[in-house]
Amino acid sequence: MANTLERRYKLALVVDDSVMQCKVLSVLLKEEGYRVFTANDGARGVEMYIKYQPDLVLMDINMPVMDGYEAARQIKALSKHTLAPLIFITSMDTDQAFIDSIEAGGDGILVRPFSPEVFKAKIKSIQRISDLYIQVKSLQQAQQKDAELAEQLMSGVIESRNFALDRIGIVKKAAELFSGDIQLTAQCPNGDVNVLLGDFTGHGLRSSIGAIPLAETFRVMTKKGFSLIEVISQINSQLYDLLPADLFLAATFISVSSQDSTAYIFNAGLPDTYIYSEEGSVSHKLGSIHPPLGVLEHLLPGSQLAVVYIKETDRILTLSDGIIEARNAAGEMYGIERFEKAAEQGVKNNALTETIVADLEYFCEGTLQEDDISLIDIPCNGWEPSLSVGHSAPTAVNELVEYQGIKQTGASWSWKLVLMGDKLAKVNPIPMAMSYLHEIEGNSEQWQNLYTILTELFINALDHGVLGLSSDLKKEAEGFALYFQEREERLKQLAVGSVEIMLNFVRAEKGNEVVIEVKDSGSGFDFEIVQEKLQENSELSLSGRGIQLVSKLCDGLYYKDKGTHVIAKYAVS
Amino acid sequence: MTVKKITSDSGKDVTIAIEDRFDFSLHQLFRDSYADSTVSGTKFTLDLSKTSYMDSSALGMILLLKDHAEKISGSVTISKPSEPVAKILEIAQFNRLLKIEK
Repeated sequence: MANTLERRYKLALVVDDSVMQCKVLSVLLKEEGYRVFTANDGARGVEMYIKYQPDLVLMDINMPVMDGYEAARQIKALSKHTLAPLIFITSMDTDQAFIDSIEAGGDGILVRPFSPEVFKAKIKSIQRISDLYIQVKSLQQAQQKDAELAEQLMSGVIESRNFALDRIGIVKKAAELFSGDIQLTAQCPNGDVNVLLGDFTGHGLRSSIGAIPLAETFRVMTKKGFSLIEVISQINSQLYDLLPADLFLAATFISVSSQDSTAYIFNAGLPDTYIYSEEGSVSHKLGSIHPPLGVLEHLLPGSQLAVVYIKETDRILTLSDGIIEARNAAGEMYGIERFEKAAEQGVKNNALTETIVADLEYFCEGTLQEDDISLIDIPCNGWEPSLSVGHSAPTAVNELVEYQGIKQTGASWSWKLVLMGDKLAKVNPIPMAMSYLHEIEGNSEQWQNLYTILTELFINALDHGVLGLSSDLKKEAEGFALYFQEREERLKQLAVGSVEIMLNFVRAEKGNEVVIEVKDSGSGFDFEIVQEKLQENSELSLSGRGIQLVSKLCDGLYYKDKGTHVIAKYAVS
Repeated sequence: MTVKKITSDSGKDVTIAIEDRFDFSLHQLFRDSYADSTVSGTKFTLDLSKTSYMDSSALGMILLLKDHAEKISGSVTISKPSEPVAKILEIAQFNRLLKIEK
């Protein structure tokens, strides 16, 4: 089939049983730059139409074999996706002829006799409409292509890089081709999982411009080990700078730490996030506590994560408003009650998202949805750091004597940062230290372990050394949330105290090693008991797990100065 | 779906009332309702008592109104939001951004 968009000259088809009329019209059309084909009855006209796909059809009404109305109907049925302008030429000057012409699909009617000027004017006007139609059509196609590209980018590039898709249940149903909802998951260096469910204002292409920077920031900062609130704060400022005032992101951020039996949740503008126990009862509901991100230049003062104690068998469920607002044919909303009922049943069936989706589909009975529908179901177990092999139990305490400090060992480089007073509450030194390490020694899997060591040692120095928090609080499983709350309080008031972090890269005959030193201004602790326990390899309670983990990862762990100075050696493979 | 606007004689008190659905289809009408109110210190009251439904693009439109009001040293108050609208404003925590009179 010839493509009317690509053809340089225009084709006209004249259908008239009078050979004379065909000739007259052909001459006039040629003067207007058309190439002309003619047919002398309706049936032949339809055949010619199929063969040449003309840009314009002139049609007589009364003809043998097939009349003009029937031919027009057939031609219009054949050209549903193109506008083939069709004008009836007739000498029947009646209202009925005019009405029938339009009914049959004609785009206009010209009644004989007419002057050549009137005929040409009519052709021009009809061609103008046809050109406009072609223009709209090609714009529409271009838009469709853009949307497809964006969709490809979104699912292929952004969401395919999500972490643990086999364990986290994600449901995503876009209202249009391109969804304004975004779901991201990424693993923290310490094994925790960070999850984001976001809903950009509106839907379609316009709502997608923030998706790429959002995904990038979320992934990179999570991977580098920034805390969740730091990630949120950065995304907020970024979206504020990037997006126009009426575009923003309602989002829930969730971080799950199996190790600490704790979930950290921040809901900014989405419906409640649920935590379900194994039996299907809701143990927590976390509502929105902040305007959507990208609205304010900075997060509201005092914004903090909700800290929730979780059991291994719990599940966390988060959703965007599309599902609650989905309507059936009668215009009734699915609503929160139906949703909660389905979710409870889903937990019991051990098929949370599937049950909700099935219930929703049953309710809507195929009614088109107005908004994107998103659900994320996160299990609370199994988010642990991946320990690498080759590192055995810690070395004996007596090696402490042999360790003479870094100066004699000939470090090939070292990095040091001292944080004091309120800066301790505001600055996270771990991503900085890791960034130096990556910068100088290149990327490597084994730095994951170093991240864990650095984080545990720094947190210990800050929490127990400077802030004087007792880990007794953490002995009770529920105590984590209390501990975290107390920690926030003390951090807020922190004015004195310091933590010093030093990273030394040592080249030695036996092999290279990284020596980490952390000093704090606290009063120290009874490190000998801890070391004894580590030697015995006895199980520590909930509170000692950080150090136990560090000792497993290190090749040497030493305490000095009443426990205010810790040295960890890590062999580089 | 309508946008009604009442301006006081001084031009300093502008009430905008939205009836029925407040969504993206009102974008132009809503913008037109406040764009020519440029008297310094204008107090805009957004009456949402007869609004049956509001979507997230409506929240965006309210933020544009807030931007406009701040540019002319004015203010925006949301007045008597209907129940479904109040729920949406609460989820979006708009009470932290502007005044909402119940």
